Amino acid sequence: MRTQEITVNLGPQHPSTHGVFRLVIHLDGEVATGGTSVLGYLHRGLEKLAESRTYPQFIPYTDRLDYLASMSNNLAYVQTVEKLMGIEVPERAEYLRVIFAELQRIASHMVGVGTFVMDLGAVTAVFYPFIHREKILDLFSMTCGGRLTYNYMRIGGLSHDIPEEFLPKLQEFLDYMRTALEEYHQLVTGNEIFLARTKGVGVITKEMAMSYGLSGPNVRASGVCYDVRKAHPYGIYDRFNFNVPVFESGDTFDRYMVRMIEMEESVKIIRQAIKDLPEGPVLGKVPKLIKPPAGEVYHSIENPKGELGFYIVSDGSPKPYRLHIRRPSFVNLGVLEEIIKGWKVADVIAILASLDIVLGEVDG
Amino acid sequence: MSVLDNLFVKIAALVRTTLTGLGLGDIWVNLAMVILYLAGILGVMITAALVLVLVERKIAGFIQLRPGPNRVGPWGSLQTVADTIKLLTKEDIIPACADRKVFMLAPVLVLVPTILAFAVIPFGKGMIATDVNIGIFYLIAVSSLATIPFLMAGWSSNNKYSLLGGMRAVAQMVSYEVPMVFSLLGVVMIVGSLQMSAIVEAQSKVWFVLLQPVAFLIYVIAATAECNRAPFDIPEGESELVAGVFTEYTGMKWALFFLAEYANLVLVSAIATTMFLGGWHGPVLPGWFWFFIKTSIMIFFFMWMRWTFPRVRVDHLMHFGWKFLVPLSLANIFITGIGVYLYKTIGW
Amino acid sequence: MYGSGVVKGLALTLKKFFSKKITEQYPEERPFIDHRWRGSLQLDKDACICCNMCVNACPNGVITLESGKDENNKRFLTRYEVNFERCLVCGLCVEACPKQCLKFTREYELATYFRDDVKLGLYHNPKLSAPSSTYAQKTEQKKEG
Repeated sequence: MRTQEITVNLGPQHPSTHGVFRLVIHLDGEVATGGTSVLGYLHRGLEKLAESRTYPQFIPYTDRLDYLASMSNNLAYVQTVEKLMGIEVPERAEYLRVIFAELQRIASHMVGVGTFVMDLGAVTAVFYPFIHREKILDLFSMTCGGRLTYNYMRIGGLSHDIPEEFLPKLQEFLDYMRTALEEYHQLVTGNEIFLARTKGVGVITKEMAMSYGLSGPNVRASGVCYDVRKAHPYGIYDRFNFNVPVFESGDTFDRYMVRMIEMEESVKIIRQAIKDLPEGPVLGKVPKLIKPPAGEVYHSIENPKGELGFYIVSDGSPKPYRLHIRRPSFVNLGVLEEIIKGWKVADVIAILASLDIVLGEVDG
Repeated sequence: MSVLDNLFVKIAALVRTTLTGLGLGDIWVNLAMVILYLAGILGVMITAALVLVLVERKIAGFIQLRPGPNRVGPWGSLQTVADTIKLLTKEDIIPACADRKVFMLAPVLVLVPTILAFAVIPFGKGMIATDVNIGIFYLIAVSSLATIPFLMAGWSSNNKYSLLGGMRAVAQMVSYEVPMVFSLLGVVMIVGSLQMSAIVEAQSKVWFVLLQPVAFLIYVIAATAECNRAPFDIPEGESELVAGVFTEYTGMKWALFFLAEYANLVLVSAIATTMFLGGWHGPVLPGWFWFFIKTSIMIFFFMWMRWTFPRVRVDHLMHFGWKFLVPLSLANIFITGIGVYLYKTIGW
Repeated sequence: MYGSGVVKGLALTLKKFFSKKITEQYPEERPFIDHRWRGSLQLDKDACICCNMCVNACPNGVITLESGKDENNKRFLTRYEVNFERCLVCGLCVEACPKQCLKFTREYELATYFRDDVKLGLYHNPKLSAPSSTYAQKTEQKKEG
């Protein structure tokens, strides 16, 4: 019998494309034979916008890159400018930056695993992580007044010191995280349907992961132990003792597990940071007008989604001459077309969700 | 007590005597009674669906640490009414390239098998519309028809998501019909009758869920798949197929599918109650109330499952159905056969 | 055993079914808004020295400031408008203010019926230009050290 492939346009309006991503897949019955990803529906031209903004003025724009990890984006950008100008950051600010970046990692992974499991059809499993994330957002809004776009980091430090009630609340949250993660494992990780849906699905081999330049949890699930925090320690990450979870098989289940374990590790880092948190100012000595010397700089940090890098070319004026962002979601998405071949429609959605992309970052 | 117990039976008898008293012929009285029964079943079904929509949302809310709908009316009780008004007043859109006749017929037909099936459900002692002696056979035959409207809807929408959903619906419902029937066979073998009232009568001492636990489990799983509920909601498959077969339906047409889904839920729960949970048997309270309680518990269980599990993938669903449930249900029949034989010959 | 994960999940959701609900019943129950909340803006127009620092700090240029000079050659405001449509609510203007007369309020219900109402007339609107309103932000030392 002659059968014909059908072309299905998944997105940009589709419940599970995590925003306005479009995937044109070719289906042989239920099985995807190939697909093309179409990007750009959320393109705002952030890199071009940067050229007409002064260096501090671009900080709020980094919030809008990966809007689930605004703190980390802030951190990556300000550290790049600090590196370019050679600005010293006070100790207290460094410790607080670590605390906030790791809290942000937990919050981002909460959404990542939550939406991943929701795309597998378990709606309840998205509500619990969001409840936990809400507690992190409370901590953030208490400190910087924002719940999604924080604009908290400044070149040379932070905009505010933490309020008094922050540390007790943070401690409370860290204790709460233990039960929260246990509950989630109980609800999702052991579930036989979940295991059947995720084990062995959408395998990214080690070679593939490396040749596509994946980073973050996606590459660590494929057996590559690459974490910028360990490989090229930035800030004060070399002072903390933590593990980098690495899984071997590179399937969607491993990508899920890496995120779950990373949350535990982040809790560990935050505990250490609280213990050593020094007193002092949170904003270092910074010139009133930020005017980096002419030159170029690249700096990358480990964002929840992967390696986020900023490349800045300065011509000595208060505005960057050129700014380029290595956006981890965009790079990670590249592998999608390769790994969806031969999987069912339902798996395509699961694989896409397991890559944990944020369209604000993909489209830039 | 017995007054309450036979309340509805008495009412029916009263109507019958009144109608006969009016001097109507037997045929006309019977016809009037059929209409009355039909009205009763439809009333129960539609009320149940309306209430269940709210209950489902409440249960989902409670499981997700939310209070659920609570804005319209006390405890959100009028939410469904508000939703119905909204659906009734919505624009009715038929896609340009859809097969109009089939497209419009599907949501109507989807309700028919369910309504037909309710005819043989014993809601209480003597409360059964037609106590045919092939009750279960009729039930199975009628409920298999539910597959066709789904295929019609999926095909006629002229939408790829709908088509995939329709194909999935057929594959799933045909596959899960088999283990469901086999699981019910165990009960039939013990009773030795296909008549619904006889099956309930046979459970006066011990419920069949104790004699046939495996069959009950198989039935629950297969029934979930039969009425397309999560974790077997792949014909709808929200995160993959947008809304599957319902993608192109709007307004009241969509609402009819919704109504059918909840009516089906009541139906499978009622069948579970009848076949495994002792039907209307129970102490103190009137029989129909026991039936109501047991059905409610079954419905709660189905909803509880829906809000806990991820969706099963289409090929896993087939594997599970054909390679696990069917052999298991056959083994169950075999063991039941031996048990029944031993019981009859040795007389345990 | 196969199936134990499914049962565990059911046990958890049943537990959650009976636990306390956490939803905030919004219009009746007001959320707690932190003191540093970045909501609407408020200007103490008598303290403003029309230095244009906020205008220059804004990444999107949403602030319009017009001033005149009085007989002592002292500047006074004649117009101050924030085009909230395009505001990022980043707070750089508040940080830039040397007199700390531009502040965030804890007002968060900013939806309006008309597009013109989105613009915050911090000079003309008495509610927004009052030195302290009911939502006034707790005066805070913004930068330590």
